[in-house]
Amino acid sequence: MVSRSATFASAWLGANSQSMNDRLTRLGSLAVTAPLQAVGWVDATMANRLTWMPVRGMSEDRLLILGEEYWATWLEDALLDVGRTLIKRARSEGRRVVLISDHLRCMIDPLQEAVGADELLANTMSFRDGKATGRLVDPVMARFGGRALEDYADKQGIDLTRSVAYGSTRADATLLAGVGEACVVNPSVGLARVADELGWPVLEET
Amino acid sequence: MRVSDSLRGRHIVLTGVTGFLGKVFAGLVLQEVQDIRCITLVVRGKGRKVTARRRVEQMLECSPGFRTLRAAHGEDFVDYVSARLQVVEGDVERPRFGLDMDVLEGLRGGKVDALIHCAGLTDFSPDPARALRANVMGAKHAADLARFLGAPLMHISTCFVAGNISGVIDETLEAGISPSGTPFSVNEEIHLLDRLCQEGEAAHDRTVRIDRGTERAQALGWPNLYCYTKALAEHLLAARNDVDITIVRPAIVECASSYPFAGWNEGLNTAGPLAWLISTAFRRLPTRTAHAFDVVPVDDVARGMILVLCAMLRGDRPGVVQLASSDVNAFTFDRAVELTGLGFRRWVRKGGGTPQDRVLRLLDPVPVALNTEGESVVPGLRRAISRVMGHVDDATWTSRLIDWDDQLDRIENMLDLYRPFLYDNRYIFQTDTVRTLSAELDDDEQVFAWGVPKINWRSYWVDVEYPGLATWCFPIIRGEDVPMDTPMSPRLQLSTAPQSTSMAGK
Repeated sequence: MVSRSATFASAWLGANSQSMNDRLTRLGSLAVTAPLQAVGWVDATMANRLTWMPVRGMSEDRLLILGEEYWATWLEDALLDVGRTLIKRARSEGRRVVLISDHLRCMIDPLQEAVGADELLANTMSFRDGKATGRLVDPVMARFGGRALEDYADKQGIDLTRSVAYGSTRADATLLAGVGEACVVNPSVGLARVADELGWPVLEET
Repeated sequence: MRVSDSLRGRHIVLTGVTGFLGKVFAGLVLQEVQDIRCITLVVRGKGRKVTARRRVEQMLECSPGFRTLRAAHGEDFVDYVSARLQVVEGDVERPRFGLDMDVLEGLRGGKVDALIHCAGLTDFSPDPARALRANVMGAKHAADLARFLGAPLMHISTCFVAGNISGVIDETLEAGISPSGTPFSVNEEIHLLDRLCQEGEAAHDRTVRIDRGTERAQALGWPNLYCYTKALAEHLLAARNDVDITIVRPAIVECASSYPFAGWNEGLNTAGPLAWLISTAFRRLPTRTAHAFDVVPVDDVARGMILVLCAMLRGDRPGVVQLASSDVNAFTFDRAVELTGLGFRRWVRKGGGTPQDRVLRLLDPVPVALNTEGESVVPGLRRAISRVMGHVDDATWTSRLIDWDDQLDRIENMLDLYRPFLYDNRYIFQTDTVRTLSAELDDDEQVFAWGVPKINWRSYWVDVEYPGLATWCFPIIRGEDVPMDTPMSPRLQLSTAPQSTSMAGK
């Protein structure tokens, strides 16, 4: 649905911190943790936590206002056509459309309305005294699947065996494995390998 | 409590309608209380050519402060305001506002229900001779007129009469005691200030007068001449027991939250120069981050005044009423500085500002502490410029350095002026009275409710205050014209019918 990664979003927030010191600290922290994620030394959930940890100390005011700017600058006009098409198709089939993102909710909140989805599940930052703690509220959306997916489906009255899921990164494999029909779109190398093994259809579009 | 019932058929005399707060108060009353009998506006003429009436007419047709009222009444606007407004030419600096005896008798015959004295100088460093006349003697003349009319007086003051102290400021006044704890006599202060303004070179030099007046103010614990003269007025009124007086103290009056429309502002208010300063290349504002920037939207101040007016009209004597935000919904300086930067950033992103601003928006302002000598970054920069200047022979560079030094000098003066409010004093103004009055409002009259406890400072500051300042205040700082509404065609002319025949009976 969106072509920007959570790491890019966190780096952008870091680069737009209030003071120069904060900018350097946040970008430096991300520069240290990003390679760990890239080489797969940490699992997807931990990787996602590390991605958003540098936001610690940023005010809620700044996160909310920059979140709106991030959406308007980097996402709003860059939504992938393939995503729009798939959502349109799902809606025409009378399906409930749920979007799942590893971005912070404040950065991606308008997506739900922009594409006409029924719900958006995204990461939520916790705050104390108006400042971000750097900790994501559970469940972390990097690897949404397994128990969390089943709990969500139970609560919402969704039959997972009749559900379709689309994903593009290795972390989405857990979600895709938990539904009746899985499809990968513009997959990363890791997810392409899994899709090949499990026989999931692959869509390569822009 | 029902405001519409309390104000129905009432006659109010109002000074200061040409000011920011006066316009919003008058506009809101006219907008929401159609049964008001009369608002008599006491206004000075401008020179010999522009009468008080013409000033009010120009204000009604061109000021954005009345845009909403004009839109609400369309073609009937002139009839509507003519039936409810009366303009008298007067000057608050003169006894009984210099009103002719027939005007005074006419007002007394018209049974005035309340006098609201909103006029005054709001400049932090006014000519003390002028401030004495306008802020101190103006209050005295208002009390004298209220007594003559047999009406209660609402005097608009400021929370910052509290002076150089920190802590919780309650809604009281300890008459004859200055913020430094020094007993003083108001009359002696008036004579002293008068003498300071007339002795020696002060008689001819405004700067000397300001320096002497400021020195006296600071000796008694007030940070500047504005707070000093407004405080003297309060102490003067406290000694009056021949007239019912209520003192209303707004804190920092800023852009409208909703009336006449979100963001409207007029003139150079407190936040304007600061917001402008940290939207320039100067990004390090000395503030104590946890101190409250006690801002109140102008329309909330007007609502507070209306609530107090209703209480006065039902016979209550509220005494001193503070209209502030620091006690229940404090807006701290660290948030104010950060949100100003974010407001600037959003305003530029949406098309405001210059190409230079598009770069500056990426450099956020930060609150900083003063150094151990109590200095901001500015004196250090000026010393550096001075050192560099000693080694520069090139005329172009010398001229450029002199320009920079001049700009820094202005910034340094401005920071000195604001320092008591930004850095030295931590105020928490109690607002129990207005909150109690607001809680008494009927559910269908929430348009008059005191909204400050519920303000979302993030959206107010970024979406209302900053764009408001950029539109209505920054042009003044840059020496440009402020946008005004198009004059009506034909020109608005208030009818001259006397109130007894043109207004609904009481």
